[in-house]
Amino acid sequence: MKSYVLYPGCVMPTEQYAYEMSIREVLPLLEIKLVDLKDFSCCGEPIKSVNQMLSLALSARNIALAEKEGLDIFAPCPMCHLALSESKRILDSDPAMNEKINKFLADEGLTYMGKSVIVNTLDLLHDIVGVENIKKLAKKPLNELKVATHYGCHLIRPSEIGRPDDSENPQKMEKILEAIGAKPLDYPEKLDCCGGLLTANLPESALTKTGQKLQKVQEQGFDAFIDTCPWCHRQYDSKQTKAGETVAAKLEVPVFYLTQLLGLSFGISSDKLGLDLNLSPVDKLNLGGK
Amino acid sequence: MGIVDLTSMGESQVKLRNEINERLSRLQDEISDYCYQCAKCTSGCEAHKLLELEPHKIVALLKRGLIDEMINSDVIWTCMSCFKCRERCPQKVAPVEILFALKNMAVASGKQIPGNYTAMLQSVLSIGLIQDVKSITTRDNKTKSRSDLDLPEISKPTDSTKFQMILSKLAVEKV
Ligand code: SF4
Ligand code: SF4
Ligand code: SF4
Repeated sequence: MKSYVLYPGCVMPTEQYAYEMSIREVLPLLEIKLVDLKDFSCCGEPIKSVNQMLSLALSARNIALAEKEGLDIFAPCPMCHLALSESKRILDSDPAMNEKINKFLADEGLTYMGKSVIVNTLDLLHDIVGVENIKKLAKKPLNELKVATHYGCHLIRPSEIGRPDDSENPQKMEKILEAIGAKPLDYPEKLDCCGGLLTANLPESALTKTGQKLQKVQEQGFDAFIDTCPWCHRQYDSKQTKAGETVAAKLEVPVFYLTQLLGLSFGISSDKLGLDLNLSPVDKLNLGGK
Repeated sequence: MGIVDLTSMGESQVKLRNEINERLSRLQDEISDYCYQCAKCTSGCEAHKLLELEPHKIVALLKRGLIDEMINSDVIWTCMSCFKCRERCPQKVAPVEILFALKNMAVASGKQIPGNYTAMLQSVLSIGLIQDVKSITTRDNKTKSRSDLDLPEISKPTDSTKFQMILSKLAVEKV
């Protein structure tokens, strides 16, 4: 059993509960122990447009909290994962910045050491747990469910910072989904952005981006749409009806977190995976079962 | 400390502005030799079709030093941070990073922060997170909280006064 500090961020633990629930159900079955810590704050990425220094300091503080426990960090939100990874990269390569940030952290008795590894859901499942071990637990066949994946921009770019999958042709989610009997297929819009980050200042445009992609997914006859990011999921699942209105389409695409679909295939009950929290029509696939 | 300290023209902001200005002129020096205006960044830009953002033009304007013009324009706030321009530029120029610096500059210059950014920033300063825990509605219209779902208490700064104090120190010291 390998232990990780669960760094929850903001969006997942304040509203995207299905992601957190499914993570807490699925990972222990795969021999990953999650350790909860107090005192975490936002990673800073959502306010990077306002003040980048603040973002850097917030990320460093969160890493330092986990390093105090001597554990690696699991950040399920791709945006958090990017913020923490970028801050690590800066602090590991810029001694002057490292010193300044550590002076700031010292007020709380914290130190950034640069020892903890930072992982996301995707590399944790694919690289650390491994597809073979996932396959072993899959009991409920998904009957070749035709699925479209959505990685989310922050999960794959900028590759210079070290991201969990390839920036132009990510396939790890596909490998995981194949292991549980689903049938993932590539599609032209696979790398399109959800627009979620515009929610702060241009919410209509954000929804239009979401609607445009989902409409294409629906037209291509996919059974389900799979994501791993709480920001993306909020767009595609929680706001699907509104997103449809922006492109004058009635969207009815079942959207799942990758970890929810894994849980279902492992035979975990749908209420433990928060399936009733998905606002998209996930019932239509009849995957539930208590 | 409140939002004013981080976003107004107060004393500390002058220093912050100078710092961002330095960053921008560094970017200006670095990129002027590299960007050859191929517009590959713009061809894949997620905000191009919908919101008319043209990252190659942002680079060109920076090259000419038209920083004030850009920080006064709404167009810098249309970037959705997809990082495609940074990923795909054949010359390793990163328009998205220029845009972040320009937005920071606009804020430090006391320009109106658009949309919800003010509320998010205020929330981070007061509770450490961009928003507080919400009760949510299920598909069949039931209201659920974290505890209804057997989720543990949320992790956020336990000593919020201290957290605020530290952030305000940061705002003054310009880490
Ligand atoms: S990226 Fe995600 S959820 Fe992640 S702390 Fe930052 S805002 Fe909050
Ligand atoms: S920033 Fe890069 S991609 Fe964009 S025009 Fe300049 S060289 Fe081309
Ligand atoms: S990061 Fe911004 S400027 Fe760059 S391609 Fe994406 S939306 Fe366009």
